[in-house]
Amino acid sequence: MLDQLFTAGFVISFLAGAVRMSVPILLPALGEIFTERAGILNLGLEGIMLVGSVCGFWGTYATGSLLVGLLAAVAAGILFSLVMAFLCITVRANQIIAGTAVTILGGGLSILIFRAVFGIRMLPPSVEIFHPLHIPLLSKIPLLGPILFQQNLMVYLTWALMIVSGIVLFKTTFGLKVRAVGEHPRAADSRGINVILIRYICVMIGGGFAGLGGAFLSIGFMNTFLDQMTGGRGFIAVAVVIFSRWNPYRAMGAALIFGCANALQLRLQALGFPIPHQFLLAFPYVLTILALISVSKRAEVPAAFTIPYTRGES
Amino acid sequence: MKSGAGRTARILPAVLPPLISVLLAFIVGGLLLILLGYNPLEAYAMLFRGAFGSTNRICEILVKAAPLIILALGISIAFKSQIWNIGGDGQFTIGAIFSVWVALNVGLPPVLLAPLTFLAAFAGGAFWGGIAGLLKSRFNANEVITTLMLNYIAVYILGWLVLGPMMDPAGHGFPQTQLVGEALRMPILIAHTRLHGGIILALIMVVLIYFFWKTTLGFRIELVGKSVKVARYAGINVPRTMVLTMVISGGMAGIAGWCEVFGIHYRLLDHLAAGYGYLAIVVALLADLNPIGIIISAFFFSALMVGGATMERMAGIPFSLVDIIEGLVIIFVISRVIYTRWRGDRA
Repeated sequence: MLDQLFTAGFVISFLAGAVRMSVPILLPALGEIFTERAGILNLGLEGIMLVGSVCGFWGTYATGSLLVGLLAAVAAGILFSLVMAFLCITVRANQIIAGTAVTILGGGLSILIFRAVFGIRMLPPSVEIFHPLHIPLLSKIPLLGPILFQQNLMVYLTWALMIVSGIVLFKTTFGLKVRAVGEHPRAADSRGINVILIRYICVMIGGGFAGLGGAFLSIGFMNTFLDQMTGGRGFIAVAVVIFSRWNPYRAMGAALIFGCANALQLRLQALGFPIPHQFLLAFPYVLTILALISVSKRAEVPAAFTIPYTRGES
Repeated sequence: MKSGAGRTARILPAVLPPLISVLLAFIVGGLLLILLGYNPLEAYAMLFRGAFGSTNRICEILVKAAPLIILALGISIAFKSQIWNIGGDGQFTIGAIFSVWVALNVGLPPVLLAPLTFLAAFAGGAFWGGIAGLLKSRFNANEVITTLMLNYIAVYILGWLVLGPMMDPAGHGFPQTQLVGEALRMPILIAHTRLHGGIILALIMVVLIYFFWKTTLGFRIELVGKSVKVARYAGINVPRTMVLTMVISGGMAGIAGWCEVFGIHYRLLDHLAAGYGYLAIVVALLADLNPIGIIISAFFFSALMVGGATMERMAGIPFSLVDIIEGLVIIFVISRVIYTRWRGDRA
């Protein structure tokens, strides 16, 4: 059995799978980094992803264009995240409760939309999804080629977005404002930064990314929408963000760990490996808790994290 | 007469906001239905008839309400202390696992074994909640994330047990354990229904928690929730109180797991908790964490679930409408402050 594990074919397909599986975690995590850097914990990601997932599928199905599907998912994610933004920023509600509400609402809404549009069918409706795109030259590199450069467009898009996120966050004025708002909203306000606006934008960025992450599942990985198909990835993304200490590049590493565990358990299960696959599935969650312990000591949490901002109160 | 009026004046402000929140949730839910091409009046009529159409249905509501009340009471303890325990599902699951393990493996007469399974359920839930409490007090690890992660871990542990070490050898490969002994099961209250003693247990728990808030420990937990600083000045050991809060909160969830297993399934099944822990949060919040309110709120949401299942079967309107209403109810409950704030601004 072990020789089956260490063939090049197995390793390549496993690692390529891990890269693919990391995408629906990395995408929402990237957006959540902005949201959390601005001081808001969006636990509604799971619900937003589901809405993005169904809208991405619907858009693609209705127009036959994957691009329209992606745009629909992003738009739906942004729109739906406004509920979260309103609750956390304008109402100044408890963010954990608001996030729970948005997750429950999004789960229900996504199913209702899917049933209303497609009804109940013997065979689920399906679309042509993003096909693997072999990048010239790079995809020919032994080992790395098939793992990294024979993926579909959404995977490459995710990497591009990761780099863009890193640049925006650390190298632009907007990024500086975001971090200021999360660290010291009062000081930011006195410098003329519109705290409320920045926070709204950051929740919406998170919503757009989450919508995209949801769409990856329905039109970039599977070819249909399934009830609760995110399977907790929105929550895992929140954990990945903390795990990565609010850094887009480290978030990719963290998302890959989850991707590996997921890809490995699928393959080991198929081979009938003696380690219970549930242990492999549970491993990343245990790892997250351990990582949280090590992060907590260093206290790099944005100082105004989860604290609503009110002008004038001291 | 006078005292009656005084009572109304006291109760009305407490009852009106949740009622309005529920009403608004139904209105917005109805608008969504229209938008998606469904008839909301038909949906709500089916929902109502499905929930209250027969004795059997009403019994089903009570069957669902029992674990929900106990879970929500547990949640309310943590939330009052500003500890955001969203690990109800995991604590429920581990409690159920502990109790079934005891029921299947400990050789004692039922008189002794039955209470032991109950204690085991509490211990299981308390252990799982206590982990998160300890991590919070020791390492300042955010309990939202840890309880959430522990939910997934608990689900996988259960999945492994019912397919592995605890699987029923005569179960034809189904992911389930053997049945627990008949003498250990909760009695059925009304013949030919599933209504079991759990609802009575839940009501006893409500009374217990009502008095719990009047004890020193209850007071300490509430004070930590109001202000950690004040609590510290008052000489309260804050970290210890936090752990204890999570232990009790988790233990309650464990008891809810016991109630579900020994009242309905009589064995462990895969995915036992199925989101009860999250629903309990909604229940507790609508009730404003008040024990009596939790009874009403749990009854309401259980009725929604029972009615929703019928609505889907009979009228073809997706059950997910129930989730939408749940989500909307919380949104309106927490948005209430904005109304009072606007009114305050104008005054």
